[in-house]
Amino acid sequence: MRARRLTRTLTCIAALSLAAAGCGLSGGSGGGDATAGGCEVDQGNVGSGKLSGDVKGTITFQTTNLKKDFGDYFNGVISAFEKAHPGAKVKWIDDPGDATFTQRLVADAQGCTLPDVVNINVNTAVALTKNGYLLDLDKKAPDAGEPFVPALWKSSLYADAKGTKVHSVLPWYSGGIVQTFNDDLLRKAGLDPAKPPTTVLGLFEDAEKVAKASDGKYYAFLANPQLRIPADWQQMGIRILSADGKTFTFADDPKTAQWVEAMTRLYKNGGMPRDSLSSTQDPANVYGQGKLVYGPTNPNFLRFIQQNNPTVYKKTGVARFMLDDLGHTVGAPQYIGVASTSKNAATALAFAQFLTDAKNQLEWAKDPNVVIFPSTTASLDDPFFQSVEGDDPFARARKIVASDRKTATADEIALTPGELNAISAQIQLAMQGKKSAEDALKEAQSKANELIEQGS
Amino acid sequence: MAQHALDQAPAPASPGAGAPRPGTSPAHRPPGRVRRALRSVVPGPTTDAGGAALYRRWWLPWLWMAPAIVGTTVFGVFPFLNTILVSFTDAKPLGGAYDLVGLDNYTRMLSDPDFWLATRNSVLYAVIVVPLMVLLPLLLAILVEKNLPGIGFFRSAFYTPVLASSVVVGLSWQWLLSDQGLVNTWLQKAHIIREAIPFLSDSWLILLSAMGLTLWKGLGWYMIFYLAALGNVPKELHEAAAVDGAGAFRRFWHITVPGVRQSMMLVGTLTGIGSLRVFTEIYMLGGSTGGPGGADRTLPFYIRDVGLDPLTGNAGYGAAVSVALFALTLGLTLLAQRLTKEDES
Repeated sequence: MRARRLTRTLTCIAALSLAAAGCGLSGGSGGGDATAGGCEVDQGNVGSGKLSGDVKGTITFQTTNLKKDFGDYFNGVISAFEKAHPGAKVKWIDDPGDATFTQRLVADAQGCTLPDVVNINVNTAVALTKNGYLLDLDKKAPDAGEPFVPALWKSSLYADAKGTKVHSVLPWYSGGIVQTFNDDLLRKAGLDPAKPPTTVLGLFEDAEKVAKASDGKYYAFLANPQLRIPADWQQMGIRILSADGKTFTFADDPKTAQWVEAMTRLYKNGGMPRDSLSSTQDPANVYGQGKLVYGPTNPNFLRFIQQNNPTVYKKTGVARFMLDDLGHTVGAPQYIGVASTSKNAATALAFAQFLTDAKNQLEWAKDPNVVIFPSTTASLDDPFFQSVEGDDPFARARKIVASDRKTATADEIALTPGELNAISAQIQLAMQGKKSAEDALKEAQSKANELIEQGS
Repeated sequence: MAQHALDQAPAPASPGAGAPRPGTSPAHRPPGRVRRALRSVVPGPTTDAGGAALYRRWWLPWLWMAPAIVGTTVFGVFPFLNTILVSFTDAKPLGGAYDLVGLDNYTRMLSDPDFWLATRNSVLYAVIVVPLMVLLPLLLAILVEKNLPGIGFFRSAFYTPVLASSVVVGLSWQWLLSDQGLVNTWLQKAHIIREAIPFLSDSWLILLSAMGLTLWKGLGWYMIFYLAALGNVPKELHEAAAVDGAGAFRRFWHITVPGVRQSMMLVGTLTGIGSLRVFTEIYMLGGSTGGPGGADRTLPFYIRDVGLDPLTGNAGYGAAVSVALFALTLGLTLLAQRLTKEDES
């Protein structure tokens, strides 16, 4: 039974009697010629045909918690845009990005009031694309991908309501991925910092040596499998999800069981702190205390260590991330989406493209307060990313990542927090020796599949 | 002096209303401004008798209560009813329309072993924490009740954990209980244990440690309840009993406990509801999976995992489990009240 009307009536009766606005969970209103995500939209925003219209009128642009540190940069971009397009006005909203941020964004989308230009992460991009709240760029701006690194653009595809993979977002900046390690401890364990592992299982072999040499005084890395899933698996070339994204397949690959066994062995042999199996400990802090051989893999962490633990920073080495079977790194960037419900879609799209163009991205990346990598080809070749002075780990990491970003793809498997928890929980049981690797993976896969089925 | 101050009370706003008219006490009349405002909305005679009649209108009490009623309804009753409604649907955060699915969510819930594990943990939490939380703060209150020099320091010290944020307390307990934490190091130094006790990696120990954290954080709060109640226990009873030769334990059992019985019931109910809602303690000590393998998840933890993801959560199912949690809370509360009543009779 289609219950939308019934529930809405009931909710509205309740709401009316309370003089409350809004009707609970019901979606936007239907009807009208052109709709997207249950909202009435301008005819030109949907269907085939390029977006047309003048770049004028007022649009809203939403970022997440960037005003405090980068207010000048964004105000500069906005006024440059307004100067280039007289008659266009950009209203900048900076959401504090707290725990209920995504809920607010979803409520905006449901209420047909998604900001015209909005900064979102990969999980939100997946959900908004699926429900039709973002402009289909393949139809509305077929040449939008030109400025971006081809590998990144080709992989920034998400399924729309019909399951067709479309470009619905413009790639913006990303954090990158790199190996970091404590040179001193590595040598103590008899390993050569100049010969970092090139495969994930190679890393575990090295970590075993750490376990043997450390005698509980330091560790290879933290035990919580959440910190390594799904990045390790993806790098190993394991197929995590089916092509249509509807079922998990990681348990079907024997390589996944090998990985779980390697984790279990290392945990048993004392290569990881026993109490970090399910804990919320931050590896950056533990590394900063000089207790971990391998540090977190985002270059931003190097800046953190440099500021908080300069002694450990000086001993820190960096190397290209293990490319393993995949041959390149993966990492979805931050995205910029244009709302399909926008009243000034042409202006919104123009601003989104302006914000993500090579010049504006490079300018921001050069800000000493950030460690970000642009998504545009021209920016990555800038001397800024290529110059390495002395032996500074941070500068070396920047060069490595900038070169990696040219081949990196955005098709990172974006597990929902629920899926990640369900999968990790089973692997924790395997690591405690309560289940075999195969059983744990089978159970993990069935629980995660159930979540897909039950979820959106 | 005091009399003089009273004489200086602010003069009435409107001229001519200064001296009270015979037979009318100014205390029973609304201030001039209110009267005039009411006069403008209420037609009819504006004599004093009419003003008094105004206060006897049937709807007036409702008017005073309206803000509270509206608040409770909008933020309490409506979401509650909406949750029950949603529990019979397949509602999702995104996607607009949703269908009625009858009892599907409830049958799924009853057949999910993870739900039963979470229920077991929640009930266990209540069964262990509630009796301790009813008794320990009472003992603590008796300890700090007497006005001895410096007692204020101890009262404040016991109350401090209440003021600390759960996250800060959780982090401190992480440091206390980790393998190389204070507790294990001390026990090892004292040669009581050789291997560190796995407080944070064994699922039973995580659950017990979380209960310890809840107790420690709640003691001071309920101690205040009992301090207030102890003040109402007549001193004479204690003195009379002491004269008759009753020892400290007998006096505690026959005078103090009956004297604070009402407070004990209140504390029992409040902690019962609180312990079924435990989330932060488990999260801080067991991580986001809720202990290794998710073995320490409580019902609120389970609800978060299945229903609260802002993008992909199954709101319908989450609502069904919330209704179950409500039923459990109500059931246990009623059961406890019944048991206490039988005990009384």
